[in-house]
Amino acid sequence: MNIALKDMRFSMLRFALTAVGIGLLLGATMGMIGLYRGIVHEALLIINDVGADLWVVEGGRSGPFAETSAVPSSLDRRVEGVPGVAATRRFIQYNQQYDINGKSVRLAVTGIDYPKDSGSWIPLIDGRLFRSTRYEAIADQTTGLLVGDVIRLGHDDYTVVGLTKGQVDMGGDGMFFVTIPDSQAINRVLPSEAILLNRVAKGRSRMGLGDGGALAAVMVELKPNADPQLVKAQIKAWGDVEVLTKEEERSMLLDGRLWRLRVQILAFTAMTLLVAGSIIALTIYMLTLEKINQIALLKLIGARDRVIIGLIVQQALWIAVLGFSVALLISFTIYPHFPRTVLLVSEDLAGIGGALLVISLGASWFAIRRAMKVRAQEVLA
Amino acid sequence: MTAQFWPSHVVMEVRNASKTYLSGANEVRALTDMTLALKSGELTGIVGPSGSGKTTFLMIAGLLEPPTNGTVHFRDQPIANAATRLNNLRDFRRTHVGFIFQKANLIPFLTAVENVQIALEINDVRPKQAKARARELLAQFGLDHRENNYPSQLSGGEQQRVSIARALANDPVMLLADEPTAALDGSRGRQVMEVFRTLADVHRVAVCVVTHDPRWSDIFDRIVEMSDGRVVEVRPGGAMKARLQV
Ligand SMILES: Nc1ncnc2c1ncn2[C@@H]1O[C@H](COP(=O)(O)OP(=O)(O)OP(=O)(O)O)[C@@H](O)[C@H]1O
Ligand SMILES: [Mg+2]
Repeated sequence: MNIALKDMRFSMLRFALTAVGIGLLLGATMGMIGLYRGIVHEALLIINDVGADLWVVEGGRSGPFAETSAVPSSLDRRVEGVPGVAATRRFIQYNQQYDINGKSVRLAVTGIDYPKDSGSWIPLIDGRLFRSTRYEAIADQTTGLLVGDVIRLGHDDYTVVGLTKGQVDMGGDGMFFVTIPDSQAINRVLPSEAILLNRVAKGRSRMGLGDGGALAAVMVELKPNADPQLVKAQIKAWGDVEVLTKEEERSMLLDGRLWRLRVQILAFTAMTLLVAGSIIALTIYMLTLEKINQIALLKLIGARDRVIIGLIVQQALWIAVLGFSVALLISFTIYPHFPRTVLLVSEDLAGIGGALLVISLGASWFAIRRAMKVRAQEVLA
Repeated sequence: MTAQFWPSHVVMEVRNASKTYLSGANEVRALTDMTLALKSGELTGIVGPSGSGKTTFLMIAGLLEPPTNGTVHFRDQPIANAATRLNNLRDFRRTHVGFIFQKANLIPFLTAVENVQIALEINDVRPKQAKARARELLAQFGLDHRENNYPSQLSGGEQQRVSIARALANDPVMLLADEPTAALDGSRGRQVMEVFRTLADVHRVAVCVVTHDPRWSDIFDRIVEMSDGRVVEVRPGGAMKARLQV
């Protein structure tokens, strides 16, 4: 007879509620960690996926993600001539709010250097990649656009030919991929007030403004045996541009622009972990305290310690396993509907599971110590 | 009556035992130099005013409390004194001693049959046999129709009978009962006392019952009267008188 299970079955509702409560706590913890992972993942998405080894940006700036950057549109041809460079691509990205079908949608307009770059690194869920140098777009599904939609941006109509998923910028705006000439054309036709405001505010033009031909950056792919530092030094020596490696772009974002946000979320995550951990520990300890009379009774009828330890440990583990399952269930059903990506990484989940196990066993250990101290005759008091 | 011809031996003896409880700063003397032996096949009744040390004696004889002074002997071998850690005697208690208290003290999340079964299982009886034996015991106490009820669904008397079944599950050589009939009505109380009588007579168990109820004096072999932590009188009970008159 398994008394741990008998007890759980007897107070099924209480155990279930406890497990659900712990599940919610764990679910919140998973969400916090997932939110953090999501933010980092989305911020690094382009840097990781686009396949650029070096980024040539405006001199003295850490563009194009951590800071704005504008470089002349002919820069790519200059870079192409540098020894060690296999290929170059032009890059533009800016955020803009547009009214699409009467609804205001934020887009991260991203220029693709078609036909050099077919966009094959963009994961399509519908439609196709570019076939024309003008008036085609691949949109992220969060924009609400569908393949075949035609939307007017600036003075031109753009047809959505492909749909992608999970492609957002660090602000969570869905990507709207167009060709480089299109992205320049759309950017040129901002409302005039916006242009004025921008000029007054910054004393200089926003990326690309006033210079219809400007780019944000030039992406460089290196030849297989080229030394990135050497190529970087060569281009930097021109004096008017800055060159950042993929790694530098990453750390610029994570340790620069996203630093505070990351620390904030991590601090919150630590808080959540602490709160969840202590509540779980307390719950399991209380579970035993409530049973201290029955434990004394078991001692009275001569139960060995391992019967009592088994009761405590088994229930702690059951609560942990059930709570963890509830947490997984919540996480995988609810978080996909959140506005920003909550990235549930299996290592993180395993880590939470491991921590939960340690906490449960730790709490059981204290509970067992308490249970071992109780004297059989306390039942009689 | 054949019982009287059986040789009876001392099962448990408390020798010169004192017990002092610390309650806050002051000491409470619950037992003073008490000596009493419990014999197999003998049904002993312990009476006395409240606070006279009756429960304390049961605890010491049942190895639930160590004496502050003196010793406890099992079949003439010392088994406990002031220095004994009684947690270590749990195995002995499980296999040799049955306890019954005023309250049934059943495990609330186990059914009647499971409450008895658990006592057997913690004594290494296989679950199947344990269950069969538990059902048998419950049937003996007229509880076969209640075996799957939880304690909260049983009356006080039914609960008490389950607790008696549990106390007897492992065939103890000694049964200690502290006011077992207090929660029962008269006829149920008598039934319980008759079970004790049978246990002593047929199973040769040393039975010791603390009671306030004068009605049972005819069932005991002897009655030990306590006062102020001491035995003030030991007199034959009704059962002994009946035998002597045979
Ligand atoms: N755990 C304890 N701590 C302090 N004092 C105690 C403790 N247990 C018993 N006593 C005291 O020891 C004395 C004897 O108690 P005991 O319970 O043995 O009496 P009793 O004869 O069983 O009384 P009753 O008929 O009321 O059950 C009492 O004065 C009681 O207050
Ligand atoms: Mg008492």
